[in-house]
Amino acid sequence: MAFGGDPGEIDETMQRGRDGAVDSLLNYAQIDNAALESLLRSSFDFSDPNDFPRFNRSQIQRWWLTRMVYSRRQFEEKMTLFWHNHFATGASKVGELLIFVQNLTLRQYALDRFDALLEKVAKDPAMLYWLDGITNVRGNPNENFARELQELFSMGINDVVTGEPNYSENDVKEIARAFTGWKFFYAGQNGPDKFRFDFFVNPNEHDFGAKTIYGETRSFSGEDVVVRVAARRSTARFLVKKLFEFFVYPLTTSSADKATIEKFADVYVTRNHSIKELARAIFTSDEFFSERARFGLVKSPVELVVGTIRMLGAKYNPGPYPNNPNILGVLTTFLGQELFNPPDVSGWKLNLGWISTATLLNRFNYADLLATSRIADETVPGLWLPHDRLRKYTKASAKKTLKKFLSVLGPLQIDAATTRALTDYLQSDPFGNPAGFRRDDKTIDKKVRGLVHLIMCLTEYQLN
Amino acid sequence: MPTTRRQFIKQGAGMVTVGMVLPRIWLGEAQGRPAAPSNRKFVVIQLAGGNDGFNTVVPYTESRYYALRPTLALREAELKDDQNRSTIITNQFGLHPALSEIKALYDEGKVAAVLGVGYPNPSLSHFLSMDIWHTADLSGLAGQGWLGRYADLALFGQPGLTAAAVGGELPKGLYANRVVIPNIVNFSFYNFLTDPAYGDDRNNQLNTFNAAASRTFGADTLSASINKTAFESVSGAQAVQSAVGTYHSSVVYPQNNPLADGLKMVAQLMTTIPEAGLLYVQMGGFDTHSDQIAHSSGNANRLGGWHTTLLKWFSEGVRAFYDDLAEHGIAEDVLIMEWSEFGRRPGENASFGTDHGTVGQMFIIGDAVRGGLHGEQPSLAASALDPAGNPMFTVDFREVYATILDRWLGVDSRAVLGAQFPPLDFLS
Repeated sequence: MAFGGDPGEIDETMQRGRDGAVDSLLNYAQIDNAALESLLRSSFDFSDPNDFPRFNRSQIQRWWLTRMVYSRRQFEEKMTLFWHNHFATGASKVGELLIFVQNLTLRQYALDRFDALLEKVAKDPAMLYWLDGITNVRGNPNENFARELQELFSMGINDVVTGEPNYSENDVKEIARAFTGWKFFYAGQNGPDKFRFDFFVNPNEHDFGAKTIYGETRSFSGEDVVVRVAARRSTARFLVKKLFEFFVYPLTTSSADKATIEKFADVYVTRNHSIKELARAIFTSDEFFSERARFGLVKSPVELVVGTIRMLGAKYNPGPYPNNPNILGVLTTFLGQELFNPPDVSGWKLNLGWISTATLLNRFNYADLLATSRIADETVPGLWLPHDRLRKYTKASAKKTLKKFLSVLGPLQIDAATTRALTDYLQSDPFGNPAGFRRDDKTIDKKVRGLVHLIMCLTEYQLN
Repeated sequence: MPTTRRQFIKQGAGMVTVGMVLPRIWLGEAQGRPAAPSNRKFVVIQLAGGNDGFNTVVPYTESRYYALRPTLALREAELKDDQNRSTIITNQFGLHPALSEIKALYDEGKVAAVLGVGYPNPSLSHFLSMDIWHTADLSGLAGQGWLGRYADLALFGQPGLTAAAVGGELPKGLYANRVVIPNIVNFSFYNFLTDPAYGDDRNNQLNTFNAAASRTFGADTLSASINKTAFESVSGAQAVQSAVGTYHSSVVYPQNNPLADGLKMVAQLMTTIPEAGLLYVQMGGFDTHSDQIAHSSGNANRLGGWHTTLLKWFSEGVRAFYDDLAEHGIAEDVLIMEWSEFGRRPGENASFGTDHGTVGQMFIIGDAVRGGLHGEQPSLAASALDPAGNPMFTVDFREVYATILDRWLGVDSRAVLGAQFPPLDFLS
């Protein structure tokens, strides 16, 4: 539910017990985040989105990744990332201002009722632009949003439990008509809030006629469609599957896994479509704490980059505005996840979708980069792994040192042969011969940094 | 000092039993079947998003085309390139004006345009339709790609880098069960980096990495897939590094053209790695629901806009690539196939764009093709369109695949496609 933490933070959370820990993570609004807010104030100036050096793709990525690293409301960031992937919208088409405003909306409604979130997203300027809602007009509807609303944002083409088709091509056409005339106005143009957009329906372009949707004929509005979509059992199932597979493990078509979907779909229904209650049910479930959920998912690039920094206690200094290097954003992009710009409306392909020879090699190279990043002046913006951190986790023997780092970076469980190979590495001379292990500065700088690199290259480390 | 590929493999393999766990593809030793006698190479260009076939090969005498697309339809007078050369190819069809270089290749008899391509019960979903094309399975549910099945049949056990994709992710078409096909984003980072401060520790790190990456995990687990890919990424990168370092060419590829960037990398691989015979590159952006053509204050400019830019990138990129192959004396060994997950609807929308369609067109390019038009343009008559306004396909895309498998790649198409499809005549 978080992007990893250092050993101290993890101990603190574990002491609350299963329900207590989940409760504190879910009720993140109550967590004091003053330190982050202060850091953001000194590192960013988003007072004017038209001030390009201060507000651009790099800067908004830097802003979000800084939040992910330093926010104490970790679940807020993780859920916002989930919705960003779910309602995947790309800055390459909509631009930075709209995508940033969308992020604020996703953040605000992340744990609300799904109906409320879906309606906000349908009216969101970035979405209206992204899927051509603003040019969807009576008499000549544009089906882009109507199709993805069903296929990707709510229920999928076929029901994930029964396999039955969820809608017809005619439903797509009719739903497109219900959303005709939906527009937004940039109120920030002349107003004090430069990030304000106002939604409206242009009555001249809206089709007020009767539409037949899911077998029911009425003069549906777009809002009516949202309510009907959110109320479908197939939406409950699809959403459960998507959320579960983001946080727990991939589901199969087995009857046991279908039963798991149904169990949580019931929660969605009985708890009035509350995303927060659905999340609570999932995170306190036996499935979440099962053996299958251990290392059941591949870390996304964002999880890898942010999580490693948090677990190791590496230092990230985002620097003051403007024009500071967007180090973390460049890294996640390099690994295949450019924040605010997913590849297409279906979002990123998770798990093995993250893994190819190219992206894996890049993961290893990120590992090398981070593990060997030394910096003399901590006031300079950058990302580095401080010597004293490494020293803190380095023990008297190679074996204990390895054990400690496997614990900090996981905890990871590895087989005996790999344990031996890594222990041997810590003690080897340049020719690969045993040379013993000393807890001195030179060894820490050379071998312990090398060990961090190698642990991060392990297959076990790619998994959550 | 850089480790050579052979040294690397020896060092890496020293800790495990060679051959037991290392896929042979990188080992540099032939194994199993002998190398195929032919030098034939196959390059696939995917135009993602749904390329508008009707504005790519333009039916400029078809009155229904103009009726359905009052704004977007290219007029006969507009079918000439920026040098004022006509792009008309027959008394019924012309190429989009941005396809100047493709037109020149067409005139040399090196371009086959297959019209009316689609499949039964078409999906208008990008993702499902792409999967259908990638897998050649109409349910879209098959786990393997058609090129992956071809690779498993024809390339497995062959030494060296026989297949690769250029770009950020491996396309599903190349998903294979036995051959691991790498994808390469760019060459400079395609290497296993270690701490520059301690060069004398590099071999230790590589050896330790290889020991871990040579382990065996339970079949069909995430760990097994990751581990296998991890080993191949590092060993493969080192092989590619030493090969592409020898690439030279006088051909200047166009700048700021993402497809040309990808095709140049393909050329770098194909011209320096003789066994590299199956290459894949893609370019997105073809989902032109809006601004397919340029417009200002409601006035259309059909010669500008997104589709023009994309087709120009395609045309200029392919030309540079072809010239590069010719300079290296391998142009006649190469067949290029272009595809997109669907075409676009014949009727335009109000956003200066077009919605998802069912029928598209494909280009097959190379010295070996029988140039000209193939397949059959679908009827645009109102009675021939489905309720969404889409026409019926006339050529199943699997017929194109079958023709290439049987007549170019020399494998039995039935073994790859699971059924017999009649060949088309763009290859003899």
